[in-house]
This record gives sequence, structure tokens and C-alpha cells, in this order.
Amino acid sequence: MKLLSVKPYFYIMIPMAAVVMIFASSTGAANISAGDAFKIIASSIPYIRELIDVSHISDSAISIILFVRLPRIILAFLVGYGLSVVGSSMQGMLKNPMADPFIIGTSSGAALGAALAIVLNLNQTFLGFGAVSGMAFLGALLSTSIVYQLARTGSRVPVTTLLLAGIATGQFFSAILSFVMVIASRDVSSIIYWTMGSFSARGWNHVLLVIIPMVLGSGLLMIHARDLNLLLIGEETAQNTGVEVEKVKIVILIVSTLMTAFAVSVSGIIGFVGLIIPHITRMVVGPDHRVLIPACGIMGGIFLVMTDTFSRTVIAPTELPVGVLTALAGAPFFIYLLRKAKKME
Amino acid sequence: MGKIIEIKELTFSYDKEKILNSLNILIAEGTFLSIIGPNGSGKTTLLKNIARNLSPTIGKVLMDNQSLDSIPVKELAQKMAAVHQNPDISHQFRVHDIVMMGRHPYINRFKRETSKDIEIVRQAMINTHVFDLRDRFVNELSGGEKQRVMIAKALAQEPDVLLLDEPTSSLDIHHQMEILELLKLLNKNKGISVITVLHDLNMAARFSKEIMLLYKGDVLTLGRTEKVMTAENLEKAYAVEMVVDRNVYTGSIQVCPVSTFKRKGQNSKMRKRVHVICGGGSGKLLIQKLHQENYLLSIGVVNQGDSDWELAKKLSIEIIEEKPFEGISETVLMSALNKAAEADAVVLTSIPFGRGNVENLTLAEQQAVNNKPILFLDQYPKGVSVDFVGGKGLERLNALLEKGMIRVTNIEELLEKLEVC
Repeated sequence: MKLLSVKPYFYIMIPMAAVVMIFASSTGAANISAGDAFKIIASSIPYIRELIDVSHISDSAISIILFVRLPRIILAFLVGYGLSVVGSSMQGMLKNPMADPFIIGTSSGAALGAALAIVLNLNQTFLGFGAVSGMAFLGALLSTSIVYQLARTGSRVPVTTLLLAGIATGQFFSAILSFVMVIASRDVSSIIYWTMGSFSARGWNHVLLVIIPMVLGSGLLMIHARDLNLLLIGEETAQNTGVEVEKVKIVILIVSTLMTAFAVSVSGIIGFVGLIIPHITRMVVGPDHRVLIPACGIMGGIFLVMTDTFSRTVIAPTELPVGVLTALAGAPFFIYLLRKAKKME
Repeated sequence: MGKIIEIKELTFSYDKEKILNSLNILIAEGTFLSIIGPNGSGKTTLLKNIARNLSPTIGKVLMDNQSLDSIPVKELAQKMAAVHQNPDISHQFRVHDIVMMGRHPYINRFKRETSKDIEIVRQAMINTHVFDLRDRFVNELSGGEKQRVMIAKALAQEPDVLLLDEPTSSLDIHHQMEILELLKLLNKNKGISVITVLHDLNMAARFSKEIMLLYKGDVLTLGRTEKVMTAENLEKAYAVEMVVDRNVYTGSIQVCPVSTFKRKGQNSKMRKRVHVICGGGSGKLLIQKLHQENYLLSIGVVNQGDSDWELAKKLSIEIIEEKPFEGISETVLMSALNKAAEADAVVLTSIPFGRGNVENLTLAEQQAVNNKPILFLDQYPKGVSVDFVGGKGLERLNALLEKGMIRVTNIEELLEKLEVC
């Protein structure tokens, strides 16, 4: 079952990403039309800007688009892109359909780090980033390196022990998090809010922080796409076909961990994207990682931009944490896909 | 052409348990080597050590005098390919995609496959008869087709050495033959060394040039098929009584497991002794049956080369024999009489009486004198003359019946009677 061949997918999805982003930037409390939004965005692109006349658009509209909505949309796209790319690589590497970017303990470590920063009231900022982001990043790295050390036997990282160590460490960090929340009960709501993930009040500095890791990281994963394909037909066969299995696994683990940690540090924990987007994309384009990884990235980006737009408008002016929406939208859809797949067998 | 593989002092252990005991093996180039041995003898472990999926605890594996560890993984994959047991491909890759994966060691990380790669993949698919399946999803294929796809993928690597772990397990007889014939062809035409673990001894005997018999982590024997596949070697490794002979139709060595040694382990004094008077095939079924039922058998007097003689020889049953085409001499008869006297029972089968063998009846007569049980398996065809000594044979037979010889008409009945006497 493969719905589209490769080329039509990208021909459809890349323009769609642009359309969704323009539509998203015209949606919100301030009433700006999609056409104006498009003009404003286009006018900020070198070379094209001379061709666009934005004189009839108010300055406030321009700054809302360029400094409030656009960075947020691009950030959502990048996070969705990164989580989906990592999710598809993890599922391939671990040969486990339930794998996602958080499976090796990343989310619980990040949550604990963020919670500590919130509880200890750390206000320091570094290059415009709060301590919460920094601590979340460090927490994510700490927990995954613990998982890695636990799972490692000699120079090998067996998949089963990796999954088990991920679950055990995740539980342990969650327990500490619960403990912290009991002690510091006045901060519970902000901790919970953070763990549900959000893009509210994010700006260009956040975009600049994650854009390089996401682009570089996904590039690194993509050049290992053929190795990932071979891992899917068994580690031993992969090795006999010229894949340095353990080395590839470590590279993918490190890249994935870093990408996830960066994503988490700017957005909190947004679940389900890294799990369902790879599944949906695989149904559309097939399991070949050379295609799957970029296809996942685009699909994940679009998905998260759409859910984020919805989350900030559905009960405006209150914002819903986007993580709540991804789960709300993702879980039923996922169940639908599973049932459909079962019927087809 | 293939590569020489040398295994030096190879010891492999999981934790404290030794699986392979300092093996020293030289595998010639262009060979077709089957690795056989009972479960747990270390066949797969040895293969994985050669494939470098496992690293030896002590010792090393060399390919053309170069240690496997020192060969980069990609370079090694250009020389050696492996097909492991039960490929579980749960994802929807097309056959063509899987076979193309075999070109991985030749394609640079940043490059795409060239037309040369595509041609090699096409050829590999044609050779393994999966070309027609090229657009099918691998997870929708049957076991035999999947196995052929994995072999095609291995061939796309253009290896000099092809390793396979039980490539025919779980395949029906047609697909087993197809895979092994394919391997033989690759070995013969392309000079690819084939090293394969096989369960089926007869298939191993039929297709390999050399066989390695593993037993408890040691090489019991390694060499040409005829040298390794002897009843003695196989009995030791598998703890099963074996008969080894040549297949009538293919001429290749054929192994038949007769029985496990469990009952044989009992004290031989406890076993009932039975002497069978037979010849010309009249005792064949009976001997097989009694042997399975674990009676301590002797037969005779029979002529060398007789079909009953041949069977008894293979089953290592004691034979009182006479030279071919000769009548029973006095000395031979004497030893037969002694043998029969030792037995708990004597069975007379439906032998045709000729001048050469009529004296065999003396054995039964002696038994009657000693008042020991004689059983007569009467399977003479009706209306056909069986006495070629002017009725004397039948006369003596009737006399025996009068003296209390027990007459039975089938083997089951005979076995029942033997039970009680």
C-alpha cells in the first residue's frame, strides 16, 4: 500500500507547506487577510521585496506578522520537522513502531530540568534564552546519556536494553519530577503547562537557536538513510552488507538526542508528533528512509503549524498548549490508522 | 574466484559457556562446504564468527591471510555476503529495493546508484528467479521467495564467499532443491565459495564438496563428503543409530537414522536374543522390525551378498555367513548351531528350500530337541512351489510343526509371541 509515488508527494507537500504557513500567519486576533500576509512575508525576502507594494498595509499589521506570528510559525514548523525526522529515524533504528523521539528518556529529563529551573526561580538569561530552556536542554542530554550508559554493553548498544533503559530512566526522572512538584506545590501549574508544550511568545531568537541543529541534524540523518534501510532487514544482514552497525546507531542516537533536546528547549514537550507523523508518512511514501526522512519532516512541520494555529485561536484569547492538541488530534487518528491497517491485512 | 578462509585457534564463549573450542580450520577457495552437527553444536556461532557478526573470544579468522578485524566493513561486504536465518522484514520494501541494498558496499554515501548497479541487481534477480517478483512487496512473499530474494541481495554484493545459515529450513522439498541447485550453480559457474549450515544430512551429502561435522564445539571431522558421512561419525555426533549407503537414483550418500540409542543403553544381558533363519530377502522386513524393537539379533546361515546379508551388515547384526553361491559347509553349520543354541528363540522365515540352504532347518530341529521356542513366519505364497529338493524341505517343515513349532502369518503376531516366550 503506497498512496503516492515519491515525486508527486513533494510536488504537493512543499507548496502546501507554504500555503499553510501563509494561511496560519493570516489567522489570529488581529484581522489581516491572507493576501496581505503573503505580501508582508514576500516583502521581507531579498530580491522579491522590490516587486511588492506594502504601502497600503498598516505598520502594526506588518510587525504582527513579521515579529509575532511568522517566527512562531517557523519555529513550530522546525520543531515539527525535527521531531518527525527524529521519530522516523528512531523507529527505523530501533525497529520498533512505538519508538518516538522521547523513547530514550529525553522528555522526562527535559521536564525535570525545566521544573527545577521553574522551582528554583532561575531568572538568568543567556543570549535571550531563559534558564528553563537551558535546564530542559541539559536535562534531556543528561537523561539520554544515562540511558545510553545503562544500555551499552562493551561497544554495542542492543536495542532491547536501550528501550528498557529508556523506560526505567524515564520512570525514575518522572518520580523525581513528582517529588519536586509535591515539595513546590505553588509552581505545579507552570510546570505542567511547560510539559504540555507551547509556542506562545517565541521569537526569532528561538528560531535562530534551532534552525541550524534541525537542518544539520536532519542532513546527517539523511546521509545515513541507506544504513537505516538496511538496519530494517536485520542488524546482522546490515553488517554483512557493509553497515558499521554500532557506529551508525551511535551517530543516530547522538544526532537524535541533540535535535530533540533543542526542540524541547524551545517548545516544551510536544508528544505524538514524532510518533504518528512517521507512521502516516510511511503509509504514503513507503519505508525507504531516503524519501521517508525528508517527507516526514515536511509533513511534521505542516502538522505542527496547523495544530499551533488552532491552539492559539480555538478558545482565543486563551491559548491551549499545543501538546494537548497534538495528542487530541493525533491519538484518534492513530487508532483509526491502526484499525484500517488491521482490516487491510 | 573465492577466497581462502583460515580459522586459527578460534574459541568463542558466551559469558562462561564455551560454544567453540579452539578450532583450526582451513577453508579452500571455491569450495562448497556444508556445516552439519546436532543442535547446540555451534554451527550458527561458527558461521557468525566467519561472517564477523561475532568476534572470537580467543583466536581469529583470516581471509586471504588478512585478519577480518582489519578489513573495513564495506570492503569485507564486497568480498563476503551472508544470508541469515528467517529474515524478518516487516516493512513494505519492494523486492527490487531489497536486492539493490546489496549494492550498498559499492555506493558512496553521497552518490546514487549507477546504471552498472542497476544491471548487476537485474542479473542477480534473474539468477535467483525473482525478477518477476521485482515490484512485489517482500513481506507479502512466501518463505521460499523471501529466501531467494535475500540470496539475490547477497549476490548483488558480488561476493567471493557466500555464507548461509540453514537456507532451506522451513521450505518445502521443491524450494529446498531449488535453493541448493542455485547454490551449486553459483559455486560451479562463478566460483563463489559457498559455506552453509545445513540441517538435512542427505541434502548436505548431495550438494557439498566438503562437509564439516561439528560436535559440542569441536570439529569432529572435516573433509570430503564420503570421509565425513560415515555411520560411525554420525552416530557419535547425533547419538542416533545410522545406516549410510548410496541412493539408488542419485548415487549420492544417503543417511537413514534407525533409532536413538536410548533403549540400546540398557544392559545387553536384559535384551532377548533371537536367531533368524532367512535368506533371499525373506527376512528383510522381520529383521528391520526386530532390530527396531531392540532384540539382540543374529542371522544365518546366509550367503555373502544375499539381500538379507546386506541389510544385516548395515545394521551391524551378527551374521553366520557362507561364501557366495556355495552350500552350507559343516563348520559354518556348527557355528550357526551354537549361535542358535544361545538364542532365546529362533525364527524361521519363509525361505525357499534349495540344496544350498536346506540344512538351515537343522537349526530349527536342534531347537525343538532342546525344547526351546521356534517361531515360523509363514508367508509362503499360495500355489507356488518353494521346495526344490524334492519335497524333503516341506517334509522336515511339517515334522517341525508337529513338534510344536509355532506358526504365525504376520510380523505383528510374531512379535506378540516373542514377547511371551
